[in-house]
Amino acid sequence: MSAALGRGWLLAPALFALFFLLPIAGLGLRALTDGDVASELRSSDTWRALRLSLATASLATALAVLLGTPLAYALARSTGRGARLAAGLIDLPIVLPPAAAGIALLTVFGRRGYLGEPLEELGVSLSFTTAAVVLAQLFVAGPYFVRAAYAGFRAADPRFEGVAYTLGLSRWRTFRSVTLPLVWPALAAGAVLCWARALGELGATLLFAGSLPGSTQTAPLAILGAFESSAGLAGAVSISLVLVALALVVMLALHRVTAAPGPYR
Amino acid sequence: MTLRAAFEARVGDFALAVDISADDELVVLYGPSGSGKTVTLRAIAGLLPVASGRIEIGGRVVVDAGAGVQLPPQRRRVGYVVQEPALFPHLNVRRNVLVGVERSAAAHTRYQQLRAILHIEGLDERRPHQLSGGQQQRVALARALVRPTEALLLDEPFSALDEALREELRAELLRLRRELGLPILFVTHDLREAHLLGDRIAVLDEGRVLQFDRRDEVFRHPRSRRVAELTGVRNIVAGRLEAGRVVVRGLALTLPAGAPAALQPLGEGSALDVGIRAERCILRRLDPDAPLPPNCFVALVVEDLAFGNAHLLRLAPEGAGPAVLVEVASRPYEVLGVASQPRWVVELPPGDLQLMPAG
Repeated sequence: MSAALGRGWLLAPALFALFFLLPIAGLGLRALTDGDVASELRSSDTWRALRLSLATASLATALAVLLGTPLAYALARSTGRGARLAAGLIDLPIVLPPAAAGIALLTVFGRRGYLGEPLEELGVSLSFTTAAVVLAQLFVAGPYFVRAAYAGFRAADPRFEGVAYTLGLSRWRTFRSVTLPLVWPALAAGAVLCWARALGELGATLLFAGSLPGSTQTAPLAILGAFESSAGLAGAVSISLVLVALALVVMLALHRVTAAPGPYR
Repeated sequence: MTLRAAFEARVGDFALAVDISADDELVVLYGPSGSGKTVTLRAIAGLLPVASGRIEIGGRVVVDAGAGVQLPPQRRRVGYVVQEPALFPHLNVRRNVLVGVERSAAAHTRYQQLRAILHIEGLDERRPHQLSGGQQQRVALARALVRPTEALLLDEPFSALDEALREELRAELLRLRRELGLPILFVTHDLREAHLLGDRIAVLDEGRVLQFDRRDEVFRHPRSRRVAELTGVRNIVAGRLEAGRVVVRGLALTLPAGAPAALQPLGEGSALDVGIRAERCILRRLDPDAPLPPNCFVALVVEDLAFGNAHLLRLAPEGAGPAVLVEVASRPYEVLGVASQPRWVVELPPGDLQLMPAG
């Protein structure tokens, strides 16, 4: 094809690729030329936000894996119409705009929310706490894990489990020794995606948890805060740089997981 | 040991009702795809709930639907081997075989014996993808037999293998059957395989057992037109009972000795179907001076398909008699000189006639 058309047609794809690469290069360039970025990188506020982000995103991912794995398995193995409908709904939080997700969470878990108000009377306050950050991330990012896990379980032939049962293996032992090793790459890829999405969560967190430094101001919120404050671009760039570095690590991890030799090979 | 299964089950719109049993023998479940063979095995293995009926394995009641008893598959002590997927892909041979019984000394000892019996020595550390299809099936058999097993359920275990390997494994299964002393249920849609392996054969169609008999009984005396069709009877024609003989398209056929007893309920003039296998028809040279012997008629070869080891001839009657397909092995085909002339005498020997209710 390239022989017939020449190389000229490659210009458009190259420009589009540059469109993605240039802003990231811009971040790096800015950090090198702007002395304030280096000092902002050393500031405790930057690292406080990053630590909070890492902790909450990791906790949200752990919860997604813990609660999402049984859900994905149940959905994948059920044949009823209800299960098919539920499986279709998995994607709903993914397509929901994060701001709408934040409002939706407020209506239920907010101080005046359907569950938030009775909880408040019991002395448990969720909104505008670190717990709310985790909830917002779980709501927005959890479905990425459940969807990947669901696809993984669907692809694992249930007849493996049938044979395992006839061999005397209990349900739990079968899940642990047969099913899990077969779907592990899918679960790992889902967890990585979920973690990355949770790390970048902004809209739902802002509305549901606010942006209180130290307790709810995650790295993306800190970028927003810095951008609007006197520190200006330098503060925003420094946190962005760290997030980009993290994203690169995540991308490499995902690549390793999905390229790992599966059990079939 | 014995296996008895008389039950009904339902999968979506598909209804299954079977009544079969097996002593220390190999029982083939034979039928077209969708006839319920696999569903039967899954229900016996405990992977599918039974709606009503009973299943006994080795003298233990594993299902008594009326009493609400349905033992889980883990407690039925059946070895269940399917073609795909045969082995757990992430475990090596040893761990595949010993999964769940790692701590049983008896299982380890049994594994050593089975490795020799099934010719899978030296494969312990291999992963399934490093094994040939035949080796995978042998390992799957070892895995089923390494634990206390009271019945073996084999669901088309050889169907994905190439023909030579299939022959080899079939022969080995026949040998193994005697050594094991277990009831074996073997599912296949391959007629030759069913005939080779089955001590008894259950012919399934649309969720029903049409006939369950000793192998030769099924092949010689199909109970219905459908069984005859499913077991490869190429010639089935409508006939009428007249004076102790069956008249087929103007040709009066002498019946096998003992047949009248089977036809007792049928009165004079009753309609019935007459079947005869293509390979049981006899081709004779035409002798213009002699009268035609009983059960013979003159016919013309209208089609000749050469299959290498045999010819399948389509013959049209010249006068009375049915149109028939006749299979002639290639050697007699040449000795007789079938290709040299079209007019032949076809004989339908009384002993090879199959009489079935008109269907």
